[in-house]
Amino acid sequence: MSVILTTDDIVVRFGVLQAVSHASLEVQSGFITGLIGPNGAGKTTLFNVITGLQEPTQGSVKLEGTDITGKSPYRRARLGIARTFQKLEAFSSLSARENVLVAAEQRRAWDKSKFDPGAIADEMLERVGIADVADFMVGTLPTGTARLVELARALALDPKVLLLDEASSGLTDEETEEMAELLKRLAGDGLGILLVEHDMSFVMGTCQYIYVLDFGHVIAQGTPAEVQSDPKVQAAYLGTLADAPTEEVPA
Amino acid sequence: MSLKPSPRLISAIAVALILLYVIVANWAGNPFDAKNITTFLVVGIALGGIYAILAGGLVVTYATTGIFNFAHAAIGCFLAFTYWQFSVKWGWPTLVSLVATLGIVAPLIGIGLDRLIMKRLKDASLVVQLMVTVGLMLSFMGITLTIWKPTKARSLPQFFRDTSGVKIGDVTATWHRIITVAVAIGIAVLLRWLLYRTRLGISMRAVVDSRSLAGLTGAKPSIVSGTSWALGCMTAGLAGILIAPETGLVVDNLALLIVVAAAAAAIAQLKSLPWAIAGGLIIGLAKSFTGVFLTFNQNWSYAPEAIPAVILFIALLFLPQARLETGKVRLTKRTERLTKPWEALLGSAVVFLLVTAWAKGWIPWFGANFGQRSDVWLGRGAGFMVLGVITLSLVPLIGWAGQVSFANFAIAGIGAVLFSHFGGQHGDPKGILIVMAVCAIVGVVVALPALRLKGLYLALATMAFAEFTDKVIVRHPNMISPTASGTLFEPLKLFGFRISTDAGERQAFVIFLAAVFSIFLLLFMLMRRGRFARRWIALSDSPAASATIGVNLTVQKVLVFALSGAVAGFAGCMLGLSSGALRVDSFPLFAGLPLVLLLAVQGVRYPIAAFMAVIGLALFPAFKELMGDPSWLSAIELIGPGVAAITMAFRPEGAVFYAGRDLAPLLPWRADAKEEKELADAKLREQDIRRDEIGEMGLSRPFTPDKVSQLDRILAVTDELDEAPLVPSASAVGDLHPEGQGPRTPVGATPEGSS
Repeated sequence: MSVILTTDDIVVRFGVLQAVSHASLEVQSGFITGLIGPNGAGKTTLFNVITGLQEPTQGSVKLEGTDITGKSPYRRARLGIARTFQKLEAFSSLSARENVLVAAEQRRAWDKSKFDPGAIADEMLERVGIADVADFMVGTLPTGTARLVELARALALDPKVLLLDEASSGLTDEETEEMAELLKRLAGDGLGILLVEHDMSFVMGTCQYIYVLDFGHVIAQGTPAEVQSDPKVQAAYLGTLADAPTEEVPA
Repeated sequence: MSLKPSPRLISAIAVALILLYVIVANWAGNPFDAKNITTFLVVGIALGGIYAILAGGLVVTYATTGIFNFAHAAIGCFLAFTYWQFSVKWGWPTLVSLVATLGIVAPLIGIGLDRLIMKRLKDASLVVQLMVTVGLMLSFMGITLTIWKPTKARSLPQFFRDTSGVKIGDVTATWHRIITVAVAIGIAVLLRWLLYRTRLGISMRAVVDSRSLAGLTGAKPSIVSGTSWALGCMTAGLAGILIAPETGLVVDNLALLIVVAAAAAAIAQLKSLPWAIAGGLIIGLAKSFTGVFLTFNQNWSYAPEAIPAVILFIALLFLPQARLETGKVRLTKRTERLTKPWEALLGSAVVFLLVTAWAKGWIPWFGANFGQRSDVWLGRGAGFMVLGVITLSLVPLIGWAGQVSFANFAIAGIGAVLFSHFGGQHGDPKGILIVMAVCAIVGVVVALPALRLKGLYLALATMAFAEFTDKVIVRHPNMISPTASGTLFEPLKLFGFRISTDAGERQAFVIFLAAVFSIFLLLFMLMRRGRFARRWIALSDSPAASATIGVNLTVQKVLVFALSGAVAGFAGCMLGLSSGALRVDSFPLFAGLPLVLLLAVQGVRYPIAAFMAVIGLALFPAFKELMGDPSWLSAIELIGPGVAAITMAFRPEGAVFYAGRDLAPLLPWRADAKEEKELADAKLREQDIRRDEIGEMGLSRPFTPDKVSQLDRILAVTDELDEAPLVPSASAVGDLHPEGQGPRTPVGATPEGSS
């Protein structure tokens, strides 16, 4: 498996606040990589840097070895980066199918291969399991379902790397399990996935490799087992990693 | 180090060169002596002081409430008239009148606006916010015109009637000007002190940073917003009273000061009080510099009036790019489905047949020949159909792409004028294509400086452009020749038909325009089903998400502005044809605003709303004809569109949406709508029940459905409840509370750190 996405020494400063400090990480294709950390650790900011919504103060982002740091968000999307958002960014006045269709039509414009965007949209809705709400306006759907619309929309771009910000929040236990299965299947097909997640059992169960971010620094990385036993990580979470019950509290 | 010049530097040099050229080309030849320079400074600082007061108030209101008040200058205008009523008409002493106007009426207006309207706009979309405050502007103008009929000339005296003052060199600074400057400095200091040194002010500034956190500072949000609206109205009134002796007590002149205030606010990036004041001064000095040192020849004689609009444009060029923000998506809880092609066809056919039947005189009462004045009525009908096409041109722009433009009426005006040069004068239809192309470019050029900025700036830019068009573009003698007489347009020769507004052909003309309107209507309704409309709606719903799926936002915005401009240009050609002659004063900024407002009221996303908007406009002359022009009807005509727009604070989706939601279930083929309505009703009932249950938790404040869903989001329980049965059982309510917490736990006590 090859490295598809790297961030190298990323620094993001907002005034005096350093939201991300020298964060370097790698995402490999075919793997699910986790990015965890307490609230305000800089996870979403790092996502924004990778997708071009936030310009880093310092550092570079590389996709398949090519530096894409200065590129605008839409160019990065065309190069193969897709994402979902922590706070919903679904197109709420379009139907679920139209949401996915917009993305498929976008790809149709830059992708060489010939395909029918409508068929792709239906396929993606089917794949994330929300074909039954295809014609509902996203604004009327429950948050969890709208998240799946975002995922289908991202998948319609046929990305090389997929960034998921809090993929499981708002999902029921059953849906979370289905989501884990889906992500594993996608990774099996060669997609590189970077996952920000609060649900620890979800992270530990799905990710092959995990980065832990705290106050903008990568304080630990490794396999789930390595990370869990790292004292720095436990300190960052104030021991909450070990306490099973608190994981149940919705974030 | 790269030597690549930044775009900002290039635009700075370009702007400087153009300004230099304008100054050199129009140099009046007055020497730079002490007298001229003193005059320039005295007049400029006094004028700039008034602008600074006006802009300072606008910026304080925007910064503390997040609502840009387009009615700011119109409120100032209303208050200036109120002051005139007190001091001149009723002869109250100056000080008493001032206190009554600024100390009582102005704060009452401000607090009233805040309580009744503005607090509903906090979470509204930008389109709704803009429509409501623009509606407020037209309402205040209408109210002022109704109370103080413009047929009578009024003037507001200066505070000191004589022209004495302080001699500075050879120049006398009148006491009025000196007071103006003193008051401006006083206001600046006072506002600064209030915002930085008082508890209330600190709360007000906290609101800017985070509306939700501001509650934690201890000040009641309602007091903060009430104060800032009251302050806004007081400064507007003060500026109005101070400037009225210079501009004359004329509604349009005073309300147009909003362009000045907007330009200063743009310089202040909408938030910085010191820069707003500096901006006001810059505009005042620029105007006075022009007055003292420049003489524009007759071709550009109105150019000085466009200075604020030009400064606004320049300021926009230098504003920093807006970041694509996330987390701002409003979840519109609205169900609707795409119009099917056959429904679109049916709808536009019905519109065409209705207008045709009216033109043929087949509709009793509202027949074209009612009152034996069929020519007049057919002429008006033609005019309204043209306005309909202009209104339609706004649907993709505002309704789909969420880009608010007040410029389309002005673009149509430019189109009409251009058509009189490119083919209209010989009835050549090819000219229409040229005009459409030019107007598409004009549309893009208007939008270009603001495309990278927040949506509000775009609205300001288009407003400035409308003002610029009225004052500079159409007034150039090469555009509309002042000596031209008679019609500028020959009958249009199209597919062997002669299309003109000549008396004998007017009926056919109306039917032709009805066909044109219906075709555009059909095209837009079909277009809504296609990929461009989808992409534009996506762009409007979430710019950040659009960008991350590969949408080039700039290209899409340019496309939609070009489309809208082209359609407006086409409407302009028809406008020219239908009016025959053109006058330089036919395209003022305020003339185009009711179209935008009425469209928004009807439902800006729906093409059919353009037809409803025009019917709304046409009703006024119709009722006047029927009822013999009673004065209350004129009042409604003046105030109505504004008030209608204000109602959007209460019903933001537009009448077409509500009508569709309520009436579609009655259609035999819309069983789905029936189901949806039942579902929506059930949801509402469910929310009511949940509200009651939360109410029983011992919280004193009443909970609206919005608050409930907000609460749900904070507690992250929305989804469990959405999955729950429609009428939740007691256990579902228990789900509101994370494990281990009793139902009596105050909501705010949910431990944040537990996640």
